[in-house]
Amino acid sequence: MPFEQTAVDVRRYRIIRTVILVWLTAVILAAFLLPIPRINILEHTARNLYFHVPMWFTMMAAVFVSAWHSLQVLRGGGLIRDIRALQAARVGAAFGIMGLVTGIVWSKYTWYVGTDVWWNFDPRQTMAALQLLIYGAYFVLRTAVDEPERRARVAAVYNLFAAVTVPFLLYVLPRQLQSLHPGADGNPAFSEITHPIMRLIFYPAVIGFIGLFWVLYTQRVRIAAVKLRVTRDPEN
Amino acid sequence: MSWIHGTWAVLEKDLRLELRSRYAVNMLLMFVLSSLLLVAFSVGQDEISPRLRSALLWIVILFSASIGLGRAFVAEEERGTVLLLRLNVRGSMVYAGKLAFNFLLLLAVDVVATAVVALILDLDVAVPGLLAAVLALGSLGLAGATTLLAAIIARASNRGPLLPVLLFPILVPLLLSVVSGTREALAGGAGWAAAGDELATLAGFAGVIITTAVLLFDFVWDD
Repeated sequence: MPFEQTAVDVRRYRIIRTVILVWLTAVILAAFLLPIPRINILEHTARNLYFHVPMWFTMMAAVFVSAWHSLQVLRGGGLIRDIRALQAARVGAAFGIMGLVTGIVWSKYTWYVGTDVWWNFDPRQTMAALQLLIYGAYFVLRTAVDEPERRARVAAVYNLFAAVTVPFLLYVLPRQLQSLHPGADGNPAFSEITHPIMRLIFYPAVIGFIGLFWVLYTQRVRIAAVKLRVTRDPEN
Repeated sequence: MSWIHGTWAVLEKDLRLELRSRYAVNMLLMFVLSSLLLVAFSVGQDEISPRLRSALLWIVILFSASIGLGRAFVAEEERGTVLLLRLNVRGSMVYAGKLAFNFLLLLAVDVVATAVVALILDLDVAVPGLLAAVLALGSLGLAGATTLLAAIIARASNRGPLLPVLLFPILVPLLLSVVSGTREALAGGAGWAAAGDELATLAGFAGVIITTAVLLFDFVWDD
């Protein structure tokens, strides 16, 4: 049976989880309390940097994890790999939605202040929206196939097929749409315009949120694996 | 059986079946005609920009592909001929044969759609060769993606209108390049030189899509 792979050292798991949660709490406290340099228009919204950008990094990490496990499904990894691909996609989609929302609200009151624009066709925003659309289609496809083994294979094929097309957007979108993001369109790079004190919190925040992804993802995988063992019928 | 031979056999079978019933062709053409007429009626006499024109043209092509080409594998399931096909030819031959058939259907759709748009929306094509190249390359990528996804939905128990949902997120890079390429062809100006990037993107997209689809097809096709 493929379930033995999920047997974890609970003690070690709990220690890692506690470290991550304490780490993230410290990062969030620091993000709100530590002084930051004042910049016109941005002012204190610059603190959103600690939340908005790590959300994207986390979603990208989740996309890679999901695609990797989909590949393992096709290499004969069994249902547990399918569960992993699905849960990584779900948690990744949640982070993607949060990244999109934090970005939209942030840009509405800074970059586009006075224009009354909510949705702007920024390449990165468009790409994130598309990744969410792909995951939406992936979830819909899963509900359309009844038999678990077949669902695992078909969903893995779609996940990988979609993952192959996303890099094209990196090439196509910036040529058609303008970006205000740092590092795009000849804008100054992130490291040039970000004060060292902000980077001191930003990098730990990235680690913290990817850690949070790991906690949520492993938790959901273990629940789904238990459910599969008890009911013989994996959730879709 | 050699690879080319098997592919041709699948294509020939589909062409013969199609000539017998003419179901897919008739449905596609009627869909293109009626949706373009709807567009024309709702636009009325207003002048629309080349960008909007190429967007309308491609959205109609995209929707007709997602509606008409989804039957490629579902029909095999319904007729109960999947096992025979699986016994006689390898998966990659099935994919290539169906891809060729869908590509031919799409070319027919392209011709009719462009002709109708030219007739009722008063289309001036500045660079006809470029338009043909963009249409052909775009249709190749479109057929490549649709053929694999059609095989996927044939495995689903609740098929319904699943294909458009799966297809559109994947085709966004193609749609963006194809619309701007078509706009260059309609607007004239620099013509071929201006659309070089779009053509390269479309060729690359079609190549990557078809290569990936051939690699992944066996996992959908074999049970």
